[in-house]
Amino acid sequence: MLLPLLHHAQAAIRPDGGVTRRDFIKGLSAAGLATGTLNFRDAMSLEAAELRKRGMACIVLWMGGGPSQFETFSPLEGHANGGETKAIATSVPGIRIAAQFPELAKTARDIAIIRSMTSKEGNHNRASYLLHSGYLPTPTVKYPSLGAICAHEIADKACELPSYVRIGRTGFVDGGGGFLGVEYDPFVLARGDRVPENSTPLTPVERFRSRQALLARMEAGYAAGGGAAQVADHQKLYQSATRMMLSKQMAAFDLTKESSAIRTAYGEGPFASGCLLARRLVEQGVTFVEVTLGGWDTHADNFTKTKELAGQLDRPMAQLIADLKQRGLLERTLVVWLGEFGRTPKINPRAGRDHYPQAFNVVLSGGGMRGGQVIGRVTRDGMKVDDRPVTVPDLFRTICRSLKIDADREQMTPIGRPIKIVDGGSVVQELFG
Amino acid sequence: MGFQPAQGLVVSAGLEAHDTDWAKPEALLDCYIVWATASNDEGTLPCRGPKGRLNYRMECRIPLQGLVAMSHIYRPIVAAWLLSLLAAPAYAQQGHPALPAQAAAQVDRLLSEEVLRGQTLAPPVDDAAYLRRVSLDIIGEPPTPQEIVAFILDPAPDKRARLVERLLGHPLYGQNWARYWRDVILARRSNDRALDLSGNSAVVYLTEQFNAGRGWDAIVRSILTATGKARTDGSTVLAIAHEGKPEETAAEAARVFLGIQLQCAQCHDHPYDSWMREQFHQLAAYFPRVVLRPLPVEVLPDFEVTSIEKVRGGGRNKAQPEHYMSDLNDPKAKGTLTQPQFFLDDAQEQAGLTDGQRRATLARRTTAPDNPWFAKALVNRVWAELLGRGFYEPIDDLGADRKCAAPQTLDYLTRQFIASGHDLRWLLTTITATAAYQRPGRARSESDKAPFSSVVIQPLRADVLFSALGTALQVDLDQVQQNRRGRQGGPRAQFELAFGYDPSLPRDEVAPSISQALLLMNSPQIARAMRADTQQSPLGRLAAAIKDDDLVVSELYLRTLSREPGSAERATARSHIQETGNRAAALEDILWALVNSAEFRERR
Repeated sequence: MLLPLLHHAQAAIRPDGGVTRRDFIKGLSAAGLATGTLNFRDAMSLEAAELRKRGMACIVLWMGGGPSQFETFSPLEGHANGGETKAIATSVPGIRIAAQFPELAKTARDIAIIRSMTSKEGNHNRASYLLHSGYLPTPTVKYPSLGAICAHEIADKACELPSYVRIGRTGFVDGGGGFLGVEYDPFVLARGDRVPENSTPLTPVERFRSRQALLARMEAGYAAGGGAAQVADHQKLYQSATRMMLSKQMAAFDLTKESSAIRTAYGEGPFASGCLLARRLVEQGVTFVEVTLGGWDTHADNFTKTKELAGQLDRPMAQLIADLKQRGLLERTLVVWLGEFGRTPKINPRAGRDHYPQAFNVVLSGGGMRGGQVIGRVTRDGMKVDDRPVTVPDLFRTICRSLKIDADREQMTPIGRPIKIVDGGSVVQELFG
Repeated sequence: MGFQPAQGLVVSAGLEAHDTDWAKPEALLDCYIVWATASNDEGTLPCRGPKGRLNYRMECRIPLQGLVAMSHIYRPIVAAWLLSLLAAPAYAQQGHPALPAQAAAQVDRLLSEEVLRGQTLAPPVDDAAYLRRVSLDIIGEPPTPQEIVAFILDPAPDKRARLVERLLGHPLYGQNWARYWRDVILARRSNDRALDLSGNSAVVYLTEQFNAGRGWDAIVRSILTATGKARTDGSTVLAIAHEGKPEETAAEAARVFLGIQLQCAQCHDHPYDSWMREQFHQLAAYFPRVVLRPLPVEVLPDFEVTSIEKVRGGGRNKAQPEHYMSDLNDPKAKGTLTQPQFFLDDAQEQAGLTDGQRRATLARRTTAPDNPWFAKALVNRVWAELLGRGFYEPIDDLGADRKCAAPQTLDYLTRQFIASGHDLRWLLTTITATAAYQRPGRARSESDKAPFSSVVIQPLRADVLFSALGTALQVDLDQVQQNRRGRQGGPRAQFELAFGYDPSLPRDEVAPSISQALLLMNSPQIARAMRADTQQSPLGRLAAAIKDDDLVVSELYLRTLSREPGSAERATARSHIQETGNRAAALEDILWALVNSAEFRERR
């Protein structure tokens, strides 16, 4: 009974192995009609299988510099360490966040705040690496970042856009494919509000393809003469770039195609455009989008600077979650808000806060997690985790569980050593309750 | 190994003062003497470095009174007195470095003993490959087709050495390495505006210094003690990059110039090195009196790096005259008063030094010949750029707790470099003369049998790739007009944004990206410069001038990859021209493919 379907499936599979959903469904119904062997139920379950294969997506909102937990999701009330930050109630009784986040206060039912994140790493580069890959940097292994892991494990093969996209520039370097290879490096866009530069071919597609074929033939000699590794990587890169630029899905990058009502709802500024673009990309099947907002390294003038950053963060993040929910995408899209560490409870002489990995915040939304709750607690002075500490491996394992990735799966590094996706840690079950 | 300058001919002598505090009773002078010949017990030696100059340096403290020191009358007297000192045994022991060819041979000998024992090593690359490699490394430009042909046909046995000498005398040598160091210093800037403020002035300043043959120690001293305006005085680049903040400036000075990474010790004793928190802050204590003053805006905003010796009442962010190490348990407290102290020799400074004195002292200690890491860090870096891997990796992470791939070789090269007076031209001449540098290249992903058994292929730096593109297209890309208005910096700056990377990073972390591929494939500026259907463009003129397809294809390969095409490549090109039917379009395709090839973007 499945043979006619296989025939259509094969016809619909493109040379590079991707299956376009539309082709598949077309083939499906045609086959069913033609042979009369396919009933409605089977057709629907195959379609569901297709959708399930589409899988989960993840949007990371990366707060570069280490965002202060006290000036965001965990204001410290009733203690001098709280400084001048006031708190407000949210739509969930008992949960209070900093007063500069009125929009997010309304979405409290959809977000879960982990107040007891803890790590030992207070150096920007090392901590950023840790919070991107789940591992500390070592000279021998280049650990892939979460985005690369998602692209590797659960990417939607039908999507012609890169599966791992980063919007905005972070100060630090990795966050790339690591030992998984260059094809899992992110596609980096400086800004969300501009279509990627140089993404329109300047010659007709036929000629473009013929040029690519010529390039491949010309490089064959170089590859044979000892350049095989570079040429292979190079060609993978060019294939990804070409697939993207010739795709109709490139329209996702054009924010002018979005209604002005939605665009105003997200707010102004590069972070707002980034969030809106992230939603559009996820709709197209991009698996992992990281949107960065930097400037949180507030060693001086903490209160002024965080208020300003709150103005850039509040509306877009709230609107992103609401928008995803409204489109029915929130169940399969995990939104993670985090930075490399938090900031010191004690205020320093420059009215600033310094690095503080001992107790910081991470916020999660969607992806099958139960919102409207707080995980963990810190002491009254904000200095130590009092209850239910969550380590970085715990967080990563939880994220993998949400995205339906097997955290214990081993991957082979070039030096022949198998590395698990997450090393240790245990899932924070309360989030899925 | 002494020598007698008595028969030397002084061609010129120059004096330079380093300590800008004229009120001091002493001045520190650098003396540059250029010799034509010198003789010793073994006879008369021609002292030749690149360009026929050999710079001897000595430091001496001369009791002078302020302004008198610098008067025109006094200088020749001091110069003559200094010259007489050169015969003194104490100076004579400093010796002079081995000539580059001899040093190169010794380096190869040491490498073969230390790390290459028993390895079968590949013979040197052919002339075209050497020419391309050395041109990209020294002047940051590929050779032109005419230069390639001329070099291959040159029958002289020492043509490679003479090529290097020629390249080192080219003004682009200074500019190429100036851009390298600008990238190194500004890559980790904590002040985001520093790229705009100091990017150009740093290149202008360093280009001048490198082309003038100034010693690396003198250059570093000038950077550490710099004052002046960001946009005009490029020596202030380090201060501008970190807004004069003591902790950041100290950490970066140590990383960039000494290869010692202290920054972890800012908040606690270093987790895995031996540096203590106190030592970090003692280093920071050399910089607390540096302050950046915004200047009134004329055309573009500018900042001046200057010193502040007294605290003025009120106002935030004014530098204190002293550095205080903050108390981790009580961050609100002022902290412990910390005096400057150099972490490598524990030399303590007097209390109450001015900014000029502090930074001048730090500069002296940093660049002193007996500082074990200063010269080593530089030699390691330059070696790593040229050979593709350093003795220490990462190249800015040296120190007693780190592993060195070939310690004796590095030691030898470092000692000779110091003896040359920290002469970068000497170092480049020596390295490019070694057999190690001339071996064939391998991909970084392939493991080598032994360190330095082959050269590692390097990705081209953004500037170099930009220049290579210009040569490939025979267009001055700096002049190409941009379509979009309001873009900062011009075509080169835009290219640097897309292709730039931090040269201190391990090179295997630098990977091409999709954005870069898109640029090379679809950039309208590049496409315009590649057109063959019009006589206005270089390719069009070439196609019109040369009717033989094979010759045109050869020329295109020479312009992009600095070599002739192989027979398979010729066949591919020929068949493409035939299949396409349109000669102009086919030639455009071929040039497009060459510019988008993996080989174009590398230095093999």
